Amino acid sequence: MQADTRKPKQFHALPSIITFVSIFVVLLVIAVLNAPTMGGPKVMNSITVFFQEVKATALPFLAVIAVVAAVIGLVAARMINKVWGNARLRSETLTGFAFLAPYLVVTLTFTIGVVLFAFYISFHNYDIFTRPTWVGLANYAEAFKGFSDSTKRDFLQALYNVLWYSILVVPTQTFLAIQMAVLLNKPMKGKQIFRTIFYAPSVTSSVVITLIFVWLYLKGGYVNALFNSVWGIFGGKWTSINWLGDPRGLIQMVVEAFGGKIPSTQWFFRGPSIAWMAIMVQNIFTTVPTFMIMFLAALQDINPALYEAASIEGATPRQMHSKITLPMLKPIVSLVVVLGTIGTLQVFDQVYLATKGGPLKTSLTPVFLIYQEALGINGPIHMGYASALAFILAVIIFIFTFIQRRGIEKGTERY
Amino acid sequence: MKRTLTIVSLILVLSMILAACAKPTAAPTAVPVVEPTKAPVAEPATPKPAAGTCPIEVEPNATITFSGWGDESEQAVYKATIERFKAVCPTVTVNYTPIPADFQTKLKAQMAGGTAPDVFYVDDQLMTAFAPTEQILALDEFMAQAKVTKADFIPALLTIFTQNNKIYALPKDWGTLGLVYLPEVFKEVGIPEPTDKWTWTDLRAAAQKIAAGGKYGGFCMGADWARFSPFATSYGNAFVSKDLKTATLDTPEVLAAAQFVADMFKEKSLVRAADVSAGWCGEAIGKKLVGMTTEGGWMVNFMKTTFADVAWKAMPIPSGPKNQSDVIFTNGIGVNASSKFPKAAAAFVIYATGRDNQAEIVKTGFAYSTHPDQAALIVDPNDKAIAKGGLMPDTIVAYWGPNTGKINDAVSQALDRIFLGDQDVATAFKQAQAEAQSALDSK
Repeated sequence: MQADTRKPKQFHALPSIITFVSIFVVLLVIAVLNAPTMGGPKVMNSITVFFQEVKATALPFLAVIAVVAAVIGLVAARMINKVWGNARLRSETLTGFAFLAPYLVVTLTFTIGVVLFAFYISFHNYDIFTRPTWVGLANYAEAFKGFSDSTKRDFLQALYNVLWYSILVVPTQTFLAIQMAVLLNKPMKGKQIFRTIFYAPSVTSSVVITLIFVWLYLKGGYVNALFNSVWGIFGGKWTSINWLGDPRGLIQMVVEAFGGKIPSTQWFFRGPSIAWMAIMVQNIFTTVPTFMIMFLAALQDINPALYEAASIEGATPRQMHSKITLPMLKPIVSLVVVLGTIGTLQVFDQVYLATKGGPLKTSLTPVFLIYQEALGINGPIHMGYASALAFILAVIIFIFTFIQRRGIEKGTERY
Repeated sequence: MKRTLTIVSLILVLSMILAACAKPTAAPTAVPVVEPTKAPVAEPATPKPAAGTCPIEVEPNATITFSGWGDESEQAVYKATIERFKAVCPTVTVNYTPIPADFQTKLKAQMAGGTAPDVFYVDDQLMTAFAPTEQILALDEFMAQAKVTKADFIPALLTIFTQNNKIYALPKDWGTLGLVYLPEVFKEVGIPEPTDKWTWTDLRAAAQKIAAGGKYGGFCMGADWARFSPFATSYGNAFVSKDLKTATLDTPEVLAAAQFVADMFKEKSLVRAADVSAGWCGEAIGKKLVGMTTEGGWMVNFMKTTFADVAWKAMPIPSGPKNQSDVIFTNGIGVNASSKFPKAAAAFVIYATGRDNQAEIVKTGFAYSTHPDQAALIVDPNDKAIAKGGLMPDTIVAYWGPNTGKINDAVSQALDRIFLGDQDVATAFKQAQAEAQSALDSK
């Protein structure tokens, strides 16, 4: 600051230009690496062919990136120009960015660059091995064709499934996590052991847990055996359910119990299927402990003086729980709900391992559909369509997160 | 000043190194120099190359990589194949790198990155991904050199691997369905065992009697397009028209076949594996839960290893009102179009799928030969009975072009909805027809 006031108008041409040029070049190199062109051995094994392809299909992409890179370069150059006169500021800035540089380069290349690639590709037809062809918004329109053409309802059904998943899983797991955390926060013997045991499912790989649950859920598996013996106590006979293969919906079963019927053309009224709910239970089992740890940490942050004061005032434990503990946990609740929603909207591994989207597509999820379309599991490779789906899902997640933060964080400032 | 400049230049250099790392400049793909044929290769007098000569002339000192899926037993079969290949083409080195899981996904990623093996298994999924853009080599020219023709193979097998009249892979083996049953169940119920003249009606009558006994399920079948395909074709129609343009799931033939299956399910002479607490119908046979099912040659090994003490038998698939026909599953081996040694790679494919090698593979009991005249080489009597289905004239491969998976799924789901009591046959297959047609129409 002092340097600025003393020599306000000095222009450090050389460092500014070097900064601008180097940032511009690095960003463009990264952009070329992520240039949306066709892949395949011919392109990957020859640099000349690669540049031919870049020239043929990726020039608009590179032009946009060049403009962005120029803007970023200018901003950086201005900053360097500003700090150059002051030795301390200069060295601080330069070391700061030098430390950031490895991370930035990697992130730009392998995350941001790839995201931009996908975004660009989402407006194209792209099967990896031929040049991407511009189709405008056709891929985005295709995703919602299910509204008019029931044979193309995969994405809508996937969204429908995953919404049920969020609606049922997020509140349940948040509630359970709070209860478990409060329980384990109480002074009692063997607390550490219980914490370790309860946390174990979260440490275990979800692949292993899914495989174990696939066995438990078999028609002749332990879950049915358990229901059978519990039912037996009350003298009933439990008809075994093929948990992961039963597409009957929750609402459908209720309606049918009252003698009604929901035809399969109205799948959207049927609610989550038994198979889907079975996966929900498994997911709750694995994620509750993770969130429990967060709540435990938050609980230990609550000032004990609050409880002391409350007990002096004659508050009952239940009152203390609802008037002190829960309100104090509100920021963490917000975090857990947001993380839970994002996680549930992106559910993939359980579906991939346990049901592959079946039965009757009642456990199909957007991410699983993206995987199928992008890699051509069930037909030709549709990278463009898959990218479009990914961006639609990202927008939906963004909207959800935004609404939730607004809703839950309202009023937290009181505490 | 000096220090900061060093830092800036360091960043620059670092990022350039990173950039360079990401895209290694490989030597331009030079077309492998082929030695001019000095003397015309002495073509063997016999139409097929005799054992001891390489099927086609190959590049000198070729090294090729070969990838396939498969468990230990399959790997052993192909290790032996490579050994035999070395004997006939001694100049070629074959590196075998099996990919046991997620083969297709991995292959597509490798192909996109330009690191795919020279020779690899090709199924309908990889045909869809690679053949239209010629990532895999058309083999016709090499086949002509080796004097291998389409007629050498079981006709249905090549349908998957042929596109635009070019052959992109040769079938490495195949499987089909047979009627698998437990003789002791038939004895217990007191009815004669199935014969190779059985019709679906005979099967239904037997299944009714077995189910009526109450101890066993009659006929085990899941909501599965593959198990349904023999019903449909023997009633006179496949899932899709021959030109692969029109779905035929709402034709009277397919509907009649579906109705037959649905009726069997309704009268409980047909059960699903889950209904009898089995993972799949083969396991239901092994656990003696059902009398009959349709399964393939994999039953031989499965029963030997898992249920060695259970006596079971197989018969060819029963016939329907129009014909006796089966469904074939097959995979092929293809050549990477950007292989540096296309000739050596093609030679390996032709050898591995050729008569000599196929005869050796049949002897191991691992798979059936892709050559119709080698059907007699099958050792196991049950295998022999099941394999008969593959040679029936109306037998098909359930391959309907790039969206095969979606169309077959539509059939499975229609059956699922029928079994659930969700829809009647007409409604379920009307929906399947719409879904299949939509898949055929999409690109």
